[in-house]
Amino acid sequence: MRAWRTLMLAGAALGALMASSCDSGGSRPPCPAGKLCYERGNVIDPLTLDPLKATTVNEDHLLGDMFTGLVQYDPMGEPAPGMATSWKTSADGLTWTFHLRDAKWSDGAPLTSDDFVYSLRRLMDPKFASEYAYILYMITNAEAVNGGKLPLTALGVDAPDAHTLRIHLTHPVPYLLRVATHETMYPVPRHVIEKYGDQWTDPRHWVSNGPYIIKSWVLGDRIHAVRNPYFYDAKSVCIDEVNYHPGSDAIAVERAVRRGEIDSANDIQSNRIAYLRRPDQIPAYVHVKTWLGTTFLGFNPNAVPAFKDIRVRQALTMAIDRDFITNKLMRGGQLPAYTFVPPGVASYPGSEPPHWAGWSLERRQTEARRLMALAGYTPQHPLKFEFKMRNTNDPQLIYPAVQADWRAIGAEASLYPEESQIAYSDYSARNFQAADIAWIADYNDPMTFLYLMKSTTGPQNYTDYKNPAYDALLDQADHEVDIVRRGQDLAKAEHMAMEDATIAPIFFYVSKNLVSPKITGWVDNLSDWHRTRYLCFAGHKPPG
Amino acid sequence: MLRFLFRRLLIAIPTMFIVVTLAFFMMRAAPGSPFVNERHLSPEVEANVMAKYGMNRPLAVQYATYVGGVLHGDLGPSLKYKDKTVLKIISEGFPHSLLIGGLAMTIAAIVGVSLGVVGALRQNGPADYTAMGVAVLGVCIPTFVTAPLLVLLFASMLGVLPTGGWPTASQPLSSAWRYFVMPVAVLSLPQIAIISRLTRAGMIEVLRSNYVRTARAKGLPEHSVVLRHALRGAILPLVSYLGPATAGVITGSLVVERIFSLPGIGRAFVASALQRDYTVVMGVVILYAGLILFLNLVADVLYAALDPRVRLS
Repeated sequence: MRAWRTLMLAGAALGALMASSCDSGGSRPPCPAGKLCYERGNVIDPLTLDPLKATTVNEDHLLGDMFTGLVQYDPMGEPAPGMATSWKTSADGLTWTFHLRDAKWSDGAPLTSDDFVYSLRRLMDPKFASEYAYILYMITNAEAVNGGKLPLTALGVDAPDAHTLRIHLTHPVPYLLRVATHETMYPVPRHVIEKYGDQWTDPRHWVSNGPYIIKSWVLGDRIHAVRNPYFYDAKSVCIDEVNYHPGSDAIAVERAVRRGEIDSANDIQSNRIAYLRRPDQIPAYVHVKTWLGTTFLGFNPNAVPAFKDIRVRQALTMAIDRDFITNKLMRGGQLPAYTFVPPGVASYPGSEPPHWAGWSLERRQTEARRLMALAGYTPQHPLKFEFKMRNTNDPQLIYPAVQADWRAIGAEASLYPEESQIAYSDYSARNFQAADIAWIADYNDPMTFLYLMKSTTGPQNYTDYKNPAYDALLDQADHEVDIVRRGQDLAKAEHMAMEDATIAPIFFYVSKNLVSPKITGWVDNLSDWHRTRYLCFAGHKPPG
Repeated sequence: MLRFLFRRLLIAIPTMFIVVTLAFFMMRAAPGSPFVNERHLSPEVEANVMAKYGMNRPLAVQYATYVGGVLHGDLGPSLKYKDKTVLKIISEGFPHSLLIGGLAMTIAAIVGVSLGVVGALRQNGPADYTAMGVAVLGVCIPTFVTAPLLVLLFASMLGVLPTGGWPTASQPLSSAWRYFVMPVAVLSLPQIAIISRLTRAGMIEVLRSNYVRTARAKGLPEHSVVLRHALRGAILPLVSYLGPATAGVITGSLVVERIFSLPGIGRAFVASALQRDYTVVMGVVILYAGLILFLNLVADVLYAALDPRVRLS
């Protein structure tokens, strides 16, 4: 009896202790008095803090706050002047000249055009082994330099003077400014790298040229960044300190945002969105917007001879009930996809969807059954194949539905879920019959999608699509200086590939951000870039 | 005693060697590679990357190089976290897991043993049924259920504890402790359950033994019989359980670290295995094996200290 009383007393004491300590201002990390601290959720830890080695979107969410390239994203996610204040293109579109502003690194050292030359050569250095160097292969000699066939000095970049940078291209790239926003084109501090080698990214030695600088990083915990006093536009920056919190458990992060422990999170579990938008929940926090990514299916004609038959590919593509997938299964605002390039991509009119896209589902399924029957397959004698898929949430949710759609038209797919890493290595090795593939744009341009189906692309042309007319249109677009005509060429090519049904687009991605209404300056945009330098807290404004 | 320790250390060396060898080759036999994702590398670049990490050489050479490095205390660079070495990842994450796991095991041992003793003394009484009922629940309900339930109650509804995360280094203990309450509770609950059941079973057996009857016959007071004589014998099975269990808990739990966003080594371990970050997986395996060997040794020494019938030679 006495033991029970002691236990109850102890419980009461613990409760009182907890209650007394909860008015100490929630559980945000301590913020220095008079400063504005932003607790920013960022799904996963960066794999590296070196922008030239970085490969993921989450790394750029962080590194884009630390570095400023020639151009930088504005609040709408569009390219705006950065280190370069102006630029011009030669008449043939093959030479770009950038004029740089007077700027300094965060240790006070001057930043010159030589830093950009150094950074681009470092990126292309075969010994540096950047996984993303290929994105800049349009620079003269880049591919040969990266492959070790030419010296670094052969790379097509030069610095006529400290404030001028010239980039020479193998073909006109009217969207070069969009490429230049990518993390591979950030300048890195040569004087620090030459001193510390690979250890330059250690927060103790950190030097960068953007609005913030990194002070500490504990894996799985947080990255702490503070203002860079030498940033050229420091007076327009409102938030003083940023903590980037990794959190791969979307529900845990959602709770933290609700409690005000984290101010924004860049992922929401899709099936929570409708609930969070209810008036009694947190509708003002939910930001959903079409994003530059597509999930699609690939049919490997070399593994399943039937996939060489266009009737089979078309039937499999048109039979899929995409509205059911996006509205009933995903429920996150994703759009059904009948083309590969997401709507709204820059410098692109969008391609005409395949001829059947406007039909009702019944008509599509009837036609699909007819095409399958012509090819010799019926629900009684179905075409059998293996369907490989990533074992992450969304694929596991949607492919049983696709499987059912196919069964009704005479195709029997058995699902093989695999870890993403293994799945992609199988796809690249063509060790699949049909597969679920996702593609996120490197930059806002149709080419980052459409080159995938070019016959010279190699492993990433997952379905080994080989259509001379398609290749010719892409080549023509690559040599087109006029951006409107280039867009028309690409749209024509895309329509051709979609009618060929070499791949079956399923849905377009959406960006899903959960943002506290206390944060101001957040603009939903197609590229989903939200640099901290443009954000502020309600009721505050930048020092300048 | 010293000879015993020496002999055990000698046995530990081939054991570690076998663990390292098995882990190395099993890891490499798994399909996939750390450098594969939806962005395919050109063959030249892939060759550059492989060369950078020495992965272009024959597997046997890589193995020899790796073992050589380990002997010099070098666990190599992480293949995924390009700025970090394996030692750095472990030295950043392990202290967090050690703190949470150590607290959880300490609490589990104290509470579990107390519950077990109460249960054995009041065998088949209401206190016994309550304690053992709680214990069965603790074993049955997995941590991925208890953790969100606790968060829902204490963080989301009552708002008295943070939903997760880790305090900053500058935070005083008076506010930092609140971050530890729920992870420690979730980790210790199943351990309390197992420990209390082991203690109860051991206690019931020992209470019927001759030496306890002798102690009672001598007229010793009950608390002295229970705590000084019976308990020492009763927790012997527990000691052999606690060694590996402690090693498991202090090397971090994926579920708890994920749900509470803790910067521990358990989450890093699972993520590395999925991403084929060979060197990190190897490093954690070595740490884990070393801990198990060490804690088993501690358990054996404790055995001798607790039970005079055990001789270590």
